[in-house]
Amino acid sequence: MEKFSNGLTLFFSLLVEAIPFLLIGVAFSSLLLFFVNERTLIKLMPKHPLLGALAGSLMGVFFPVCECGNVPVARRLIVQGAPSSVAVGFLLAAPTINPVVFWATWVAFRGQPEIVFLRVGFTLLIAVTIAWVFSQQRDMRPLLQPVVARQMPKPRGAEPANPLLRSGTFLMQPGGKTLNMDDPVAQEMIASGPDKPFGVKLQLVLDNMVQEMKELGAVLILGSAIAAFVQVAIPRDWILALGQNFITSILAMMLLAAVVSICSTVDSFFALSFASTFTTGAQLAFLVFGPMIDLKNIGLLLTLFKPRVIFYIFVLAAQLCFILTLFINFYVS
Amino acid sequence: MSAKRPRQPAKKPIKKPNRVAWYRPELLDALVLAAWSLAFFRYWLTGKLFLLLHPDYMWLANGAGIVLLGLAIFKLTQGRRKAPIGGHTTLLPPQVSSLILLTIAVVALIYTPQAFASDAAIQRGISDSLTLTRSQPQRFVRQTSSADRTIIDWMRTLNVYPEPDAYTGQAVKVSGFVIHPEEWPEDYLMLSRFVLTCCAADAYPVGLPVQLAVSRQAYNPDSWLEVEGQMVTTTINGQRQLTIEPTRLEPIPEPRNPYEY
Repeated sequence: MEKFSNGLTLFFSLLVEAIPFLLIGVAFSSLLLFFVNERTLIKLMPKHPLLGALAGSLMGVFFPVCECGNVPVARRLIVQGAPSSVAVGFLLAAPTINPVVFWATWVAFRGQPEIVFLRVGFTLLIAVTIAWVFSQQRDMRPLLQPVVARQMPKPRGAEPANPLLRSGTFLMQPGGKTLNMDDPVAQEMIASGPDKPFGVKLQLVLDNMVQEMKELGAVLILGSAIAAFVQVAIPRDWILALGQNFITSILAMMLLAAVVSICSTVDSFFALSFASTFTTGAQLAFLVFGPMIDLKNIGLLLTLFKPRVIFYIFVLAAQLCFILTLFINFYVS
Repeated sequence: MSAKRPRQPAKKPIKKPNRVAWYRPELLDALVLAAWSLAFFRYWLTGKLFLLLHPDYMWLANGAGIVLLGLAIFKLTQGRRKAPIGGHTTLLPPQVSSLILLTIAVVALIYTPQAFASDAAIQRGISDSLTLTRSQPQRFVRQTSSADRTIIDWMRTLNVYPEPDAYTGQAVKVSGFVIHPEEWPEDYLMLSRFVLTCCAADAYPVGLPVQLAVSRQAYNPDSWLEVEGQMVTTTINGQRQLTIEPTRLEPIPEPRNPYEY
């Protein structure tokens, strides 16, 4: 009974600490959805593969979304013609490299600031590396789900000379131009036209906030329940045996990160509950790997990429993350 | 054959009255948000938030309570709406999410958090030094009188200079809860406190041994004591330890804020 009570206290302490950050996260992602235009941003992106990868990875600073919000954004980036390096870099890094997540991690790991900086550094390193690899693929369409690939702008020169040869629904525009209704930009305009009054936009923002809050809140509750259960119900000796070993601790935390699917805005509080029992490298592995790939995320990624591509990203991210955190375990902490 | 389409109640915008007339998703949302807001306010106003969070971050939780209340009012006054646009791929169906959130909010409204006690301390492993723990001393003030130090202050001091003999004879006055470590002799108990850096999830216990003239059974585990006395060095279980030799042992009620930071 005591244990149950301890578990509940722990569970609620995780929730009351994490929910404010979740609220901030969904507020930002909802605002972005309606007030930021990705097209202007894409124009500013460098064309060089490495610089593009870096820029894409750092774009999260302007898009404080967790991994649940970044797939839709990445999808919009891709269909609006962002280079693959930018899109993949953004996809992998944005959930971690953004102000809200940085702040939350700082709050959680105030006692070990190195974790905060290593988290950002490793994420950046892994995201840029993978994005660089993907930049070798000039035309992204073979990698994408057919639905997304069709929405992409065709490479220059490949477009049929006569717009009449293209299929779809078109609207006449001034100056003899046409607007393709299947175009994601048009879709976006239908959904939240830029000429809508501010009040209506605000309604949409709040609606979206509540929507995301509900979805992510439920996942947060499940994650916190697992964290609390592990802490009180599993004998400490077992956890220590697993958590103090340099290799198994990392693997266990990476597996946990993939399964729990907790939002990156609040995952540092989850990791915190393992701070006294798991190696530093293992906590880092959780914080770096979780936002890149997890069960919930795979579902979202499947709406964008073909399974083969997700598998590549998964393997690359897992290996890089494992090696980097193993290095921390052996040589730093 | 559009009449034979499979039922998709969630995705269809409400054109005609739903089969369950009273079910309106925005009202359920408002209820969920209001319940969570209430739970936050309850912890705030009853002071139970002290058991869950570091005081530095309480404003965040309090703010969340206010924002949630605002969102609940927004949902309540919004009126009937069509299904939100922009297909969002989700892990859980929205109704399941709402149900989970509502259930847990109700539990939060009923359940009163308990401060961690001796069994949690034993489960988490009491460290008699801070070498394993994460919180490094941010400031180290030498001129504080030894009687003003709390248990965590003593631990930090010991962490910097671990030789127990250096503190012999210093006056001490600390409060904490009682633990009976199994492997210790009957006339020793541990006076302990949980230390928080962020929230209860990272609470870790620290403690100082107290040498008793009588059996420790006189002081129940988890009861709170204020101990005044002086520091001595004793050997417990073959380990030299800084120990309190009490001149006064007084039971006190559990403080409103049982943790140290």
